[in-house]
Amino acid sequence: MNDHLSLLVLGWIGIYAPVALGAIGASIGCTIAGQAAIGAMMEVSSGYGRFVGLSALPSSMSIYGIVVMFILNRSVTPINAGGLFGIGVLSGVAFLVAAIYQGLCCASAIAGSKAKPEIFGLALAPAAIVEGFAVFAFVFALVAAGGIPES
Amino acid sequence: MSPRYTTLMASLPPLGGLFEAREPAISRLKLQSRLSLLHPHDRRRLDGAIRILSQGLLGDASEAGESSGQRGRGDAPLLEEAERFFREVDHPLLRQLVRHRLDLRTIVAALRRRHRGEVDPPCGQAWGSGPLVATIERHWSEPSLGLAGLFPWIGEAVLLLESNDLIGLERLLFSLIWRELDRLAQGHNFDFEAVVIYLARWSLVERWSNYDATVAAQRFRQLVSAGLGRFTDTLAVCPAR
Repeated sequence: MNDHLSLLVLGWIGIYAPVALGAIGASIGCTIAGQAAIGAMMEVSSGYGRFVGLSALPSSMSIYGIVVMFILNRSVTPINAGGLFGIGVLSGVAFLVAAIYQGLCCASAIAGSKAKPEIFGLALAPAAIVEGFAVFAFVFALVAAGGIPES
Repeated sequence: MSPRYTTLMASLPPLGGLFEAREPAISRLKLQSRLSLLHPHDRRRLDGAIRILSQGLLGDASEAGESSGQRGRGDAPLLEEAERFFREVDHPLLRQLVRHRLDLRTIVAALRRRHRGEVDPPCGQAWGSGPLVATIERHWSEPSLGLAGLFPWIGEAVLLLESNDLIGLERLLFSLIWRELDRLAQGHNFDFEAVVIYLARWSLVERWSNYDATVAAQRFRQLVSAGLGRFTDTLAVCPAR
């Protein structure tokens, strides 16, 4: 009975993990990049909008988490609980870490481009590459979720 | 790497190269105001390090002591400050930075004393700091103080000192510190270490730009004296009316 319950709990954790971990990561990433944007705005006298816009980039991890959660959302049974847990938690961890490092990339891009506005586009490249890795985790979470039995 | 000071670091302008700037990219007043974003504990640690790092590398403490009525004290106040710092501060990067600066100062102090004609290491007074003192005292008469393997730049420093090129010597020392800061800065962008390194760099740029201004003022005075001298000569040969 206890084993059965534990499996169900793991399944539910797996369903909610992508959105929870993605949201935590996005909060940290946006905080880091947002702090850099505030610092840059203390130094420059124009171009505030693009700093604030860039600081919101890590929020996409939260959206990926929501989509994965909807894909995983189904009746939890002992048969599909393991799959739900594995895909949900691992994709969530990927979003969490990607969001934090993307925040750092955005902070560096903001700090660099405040002095040299012409590098703003290129400075986005590291953040875009991190986004790319998160997209891999997102797409393959969707693909793998297709193999989990519905009940 | 904890991004604790993202706002502070993003609010500081890039300093550029050490010898490129005519003046620091940010004024002392503005920098002080930005540093108010530091946590009080970090601010105290930073202030302790800056008190030591702000000492000039070529400042000859033995001579300064004599002129300021502190005969025989030599480098003692600085060394006491350093001891207190090492006792109170356990931050690895701060300690490494201060240790490097004290090592440089110890080597330069030995070279300058020897250049002034001191045939033996100073006895009975504090003149240097750290493990290098014993090595230097043992190898006092050697050109590189027995440290050529560890500090290959000592040979160049000796040549500059012998040719009385103090500007060149200061340039060399500043470059060494700048390179050390480059090394220490790896992997630090928005943390306390990044703030410390920025401040150490700013201090170098500020000192070098002030130094340039002093040299320029001296050169200006020389040119004015030379010009006035020629004018006086011209007046001297004019026939009286």
